[in-house]
Amino acid sequence: MRRLTLGTLKRRGAPPASFDTEDLAQQVGQLSVEPEKAHEEDKFIRQDRHEPNSALEHFERAVEKEAAGNLGDSLQHYRKAYRLDASVDKTYRNKHFAHVWKKPAQPASSGSKAVSAPVPAPPKADLLPTNELIESFANLPIPQAEAAIENTPPPPCPIANLPSEVIVELLRHVSLRDPANFGRMSLVCKRFAYHFSREQHIWKRICQNPEFGFAGMHYTYACDILGNPIFTLNGTRYTPFPKGVALEIPKPLSSWSQVFQSYPRIRFTGIYISTVNYTRPGAQSTQTVTWNTPIHIVTYYRYLRFYPDGTVVSLLSTTEPVDVVPYISKENLKTARATSHKQHQRRVSDQGHSLSGATDPLPPVAMNALQHGHRGRWRLTSPVPLPEDEYHQTAEGLNQTPESDDPRDIFIETEGVEKKYIYLMQLSLRSTSASKSQANQSKNTKLVWRGFWNYNKLTDDLGEFGLRNDRAFVFSRVRGWGLESK
Amino acid sequence: MSTITLTSSDGVDIAVERAVAERSVLIKNMLEDLGDSGEAIPIPNVNEAVLKKVIEWCDHHKNDPPSASDDDDNRRKTTDIDEWDQKFMQVDQEMLFEVILAANYLDIKALLDVGCKTVANMIKGKSPEEIRKTFNIQNDFTPEEEDQIRRENEWAEE
Repeated sequence: MRRLTLGTLKRRGAPPASFDTEDLAQQVGQLSVEPEKAHEEDKFIRQDRHEPNSALEHFERAVEKEAAGNLGDSLQHYRKAYRLDASVDKTYRNKHFAHVWKKPAQPASSGSKAVSAPVPAPPKADLLPTNELIESFANLPIPQAEAAIENTPPPPCPIANLPSEVIVELLRHVSLRDPANFGRMSLVCKRFAYHFSREQHIWKRICQNPEFGFAGMHYTYACDILGNPIFTLNGTRYTPFPKGVALEIPKPLSSWSQVFQSYPRIRFTGIYISTVNYTRPGAQSTQTVTWNTPIHIVTYYRYLRFYPDGTVVSLLSTTEPVDVVPYISKENLKTARATSHKQHQRRVSDQGHSLSGATDPLPPVAMNALQHGHRGRWRLTSPVPLPEDEYHQTAEGLNQTPESDDPRDIFIETEGVEKKYIYLMQLSLRSTSASKSQANQSKNTKLVWRGFWNYNKLTDDLGEFGLRNDRAFVFSRVRGWGLESK
Repeated sequence: MSTITLTSSDGVDIAVERAVAERSVLIKNMLEDLGDSGEAIPIPNVNEAVLKKVIEWCDHHKNDPPSASDDDDNRRKTTDIDEWDQKFMQVDQEMLFEVILAANYLDIKALLDVGCKTVANMIKGKSPEEIRKTFNIQNDFTPEEEDQIRRENEWAEE
């Protein structure tokens, strides 16, 4: 497999044995002060761009496709790139990874993709442990920007006049909107970084609130498969950190930010995607004489979007994320399915469109994909024994749902391709292991498969799907999802 | 309807309806402690322009039901700011933070909330560099420190 070796070669950037660590440290500094892209952007926007022409452009597109998991297209672009220029990989490395071995004549050329390049962390023997470092930030003033032009008054910085209690109040408001924003505040200046890690009551609130915290998690099903809510008789559901009760930070953790970071938690601010590639031998053409049989690389995606009300949208599709992800929602699913059922009646479908209140019309490609979406419901493993009542069985009386004692496990029940089926998925939250060097990477952003079953309501049979091709789901944030509630 | 007089830090007397002034917990407590002697109440931390602005807000909101509780939930539910308050807060940054400081000093919780929400809206969706630019804050991290904090807090991005 020539392609694979290429891929790994390219990503490592193969730094030569001797390079100057000081230079590298300098570059890291330069990298980190470069203005970042607006964080509200996500990668599910199709950019208008021309088709690749040169070998390098093909190679770049191939790398992009490979990163997105689309191996078939990636391979095609790699092939074209090599046909145009046999040494295209060198050109690529010189363009994107030159700074790794070259003296920075022109430091980390701005605008290039080099910013996202994985640069090995420089050795830092003289740095304080993070905890002490943050402690040293206490009571530092918020630094004011200097004047852009010498001998002119500096721009006003009224935020620097705020006392600590108001800064904390402000940070609390920021965090309640979006904890990610709170995280970014910690990189603005030392004073904010200090409050970010020390104001544990803010983290406790985040843990307790339903938008991002654990009050939004369900440990028993909150609705039926079609999304109709289930009301419990006593009206209370289990939540790990109820309000109005004295709470202790669960051992062995020592802070609420750690609790938020490491407790099993489903995110509502984006999409979980599982990208699956498999190869399929193609038929030999009878018209042309070839030496080999063609092999098809097939790429498909499983999408899961969770909602805080206990529902989930599940979609299995070959449509690429950029075409469908921004449109995956319960409302659009309804629209798409209404259209597909009444395709012969144009007018009815138009009505359905306006009724659903969809603001932007669905593009046909997303519409087609969403017609195959399934409604469903989800819950995490209940840490307390489930009561033996009908709420935890499916509406049709299935009571052999898989159970688990791993708190990271999540159960999903969705509709099946035919009305008589219910699909049962058991997944488990994991942390990404891609960046071991980074001590504090985000946790629980991956969902690995534990089992996948189909239940036939008519015959009461539970069949198992093979998991040979099933890859883990990885979370990506989508702009605007889960932020302004409802 | 009784009126009282407030004296701003720059020595200007402003007559205010008592019910309006009592939106400020500080003034309310002072009036209760001192009794209504008719004397002007000095507000040494707030200048005339800001005090007038604060009184304008209090006057518009004088009939609001007293914020029932300090409950986080109730306050959070209204992440959006009502239209009048949005207009009210369309001032330059210096005035905005002066109003926030005054609301904090005078103990007017609802106004402090509106101010913080306004600033939180200005922060929403921005990168650290953009936040610094918005508020004219200088980056006081060394590159190594910034890197260290970034790695420490990276998980919060998701």
